[in-house]
Amino acid sequence: MIRLQRVTKRFDGGSEALSNVSLRVDAGALAFLTGPSGAGKSTLLRLIARLERPTRGRIMVNGKDLETLPRSEVPRFRRSIGLVFQDHRLLFDRPVHANVALPLEILGYRRGEARKRVRAALDKVGLLQKENAQPQTLSAGEQQRVGIARAIVHRPALLLADEPTGNLDPRLSREIMQLFLDFNRVGVTALIASHNLELISGLGKPILHLESGNLEARHVTQARSAG
Amino acid sequence: MKDGGGRAGCLEAWLYNHADAARRSFRRRVDAPGQTLIMIAVLGFILALPAYLWLLLDNARALSAGIDHEPRIALYLDDTDADALADATARITALPGVAQVTPTGADEALDEYRASLPDPALLDWLEGNPLPAIIEVVPRERTPEAVAALESRLAMLLPEAVSVSDHEWVRQLQALHAAGLRVLLVVAGLLALGITLILSVAAASELRERREEIAISRISGATDRFLRRPSLYGGLLLGLGGGVFSLILLGAGVILTQAPVEAAAAAFGLPLVFAAPEARVGLILLGTGLVLGWIGARLGSGAALRE
Repeated sequence: MIRLQRVTKRFDGGSEALSNVSLRVDAGALAFLTGPSGAGKSTLLRLIARLERPTRGRIMVNGKDLETLPRSEVPRFRRSIGLVFQDHRLLFDRPVHANVALPLEILGYRRGEARKRVRAALDKVGLLQKENAQPQTLSAGEQQRVGIARAIVHRPALLLADEPTGNLDPRLSREIMQLFLDFNRVGVTALIASHNLELISGLGKPILHLESGNLEARHVTQARSAG
Repeated sequence: MKDGGGRAGCLEAWLYNHADAARRSFRRRVDAPGQTLIMIAVLGFILALPAYLWLLLDNARALSAGIDHEPRIALYLDDTDADALADATARITALPGVAQVTPTGADEALDEYRASLPDPALLDWLEGNPLPAIIEVVPRERTPEAVAALESRLAMLLPEAVSVSDHEWVRQLQALHAAGLRVLLVVAGLLALGITLILSVAAASELRERREEIAISRISGATDRFLRRPSLYGGLLLGLGGGVFSLILLGAGVILTQAPVEAAAAAFGLPLVFAAPEARVGLILLGTGLVLGWIGARLGSGAALRE
């Protein structure tokens, strides 16, 4: 599903966010990406979502070589991915259900069908009763769950999450991680960046350590262990 | 989890996206009625002004075309006896485009002049007859072009004759009309450019207000076409509103100025009827509003999305 070959990302200022990173995550697998702040976790996720382009190296996602992917094909490629941000990035000018429906609007779902899917996604994250609420009236944990509902509402094959529990207390963090495990159980490939080692080490999934832009080459399979 | 079941087909999804963008755009206008009405008013004024001027010009043109005036060309021939006059008359009659030829000999002209004087004896002081012979020619066609063409044929036939056409004022009116039309075109072009810029700025600022939504949508796989669509519908709606408002203004302008304009023309002896605009003018105004609205929104949204 995800394959990085000797990927380096250097920003304009000259700092190298990733150095020669190689990684393989099979379809249906779930892996955690950890490391201290500034280790390059967000950059790696942004490269996989084609929000950034690598300075060197090759990235294949879902059978597509992102280097040769035409610009016009990028939107279609992004529709196969669900992205969760640490700061949720919800739109505060519209209610919860409209936030979650955004990817479905882009895909051209009819209103009735979209509403059904939005309700199913909100039900999955335990927020069905809040569908008409304004995001600013929700707690941080609820806002994060709305962000997750938005990321999965169009049933993407790949879910990328950048510090999804960054601002949450331990109980809420566990609940959110459990959601990702549930999605993975029904076949979604997931790569989740988190610096909360204590939380993720107890979940029995492979953990990739990024340190100053370096990652030991890894191959994450659908099985529990990594090789 | 694969994307699929329940999603509309490609064409249907596209159509649904359009309908949705139009609906959202309409709601956005309704939600900000003050801003929308100001934009529509500005567009209406800018569209109505050249339309009103064009209507005035068009009525003036109709006036020059509609006046029942039979053009005449008078040829004055010095030292021409009866035989030469008859010969010239025959040659002119044979020319194409001539409807009627009336010769008047110099003596005949003098007699007519004498009869018109209060004291005919005054002419007895003259030595000989100073008046020329006159051939009056009525062209078959009344257009200034046909009259001018006949004049030049006559000049070639009788180079010694002095030619005077009473159709000159129609030509002057037409020249004025052509000049007015050109000025109007330039003014209308500048105003259209103004409208386009106004709409473009409005579309760009609207997209900038949606910056966060656009960022999230792009991450979720929205194309620029998708993001631009509500702005394009917004431009079309404003253009249509502006077109309708300009029609109302134009109608009001005609009603309010009809009487004084017709009175002013009548003072010059011109039977001007300041007619209300035809349906064609309405369609042109609506079409112009729509086209300019679309272009403005396309330019503005394109610039904002590139930022």
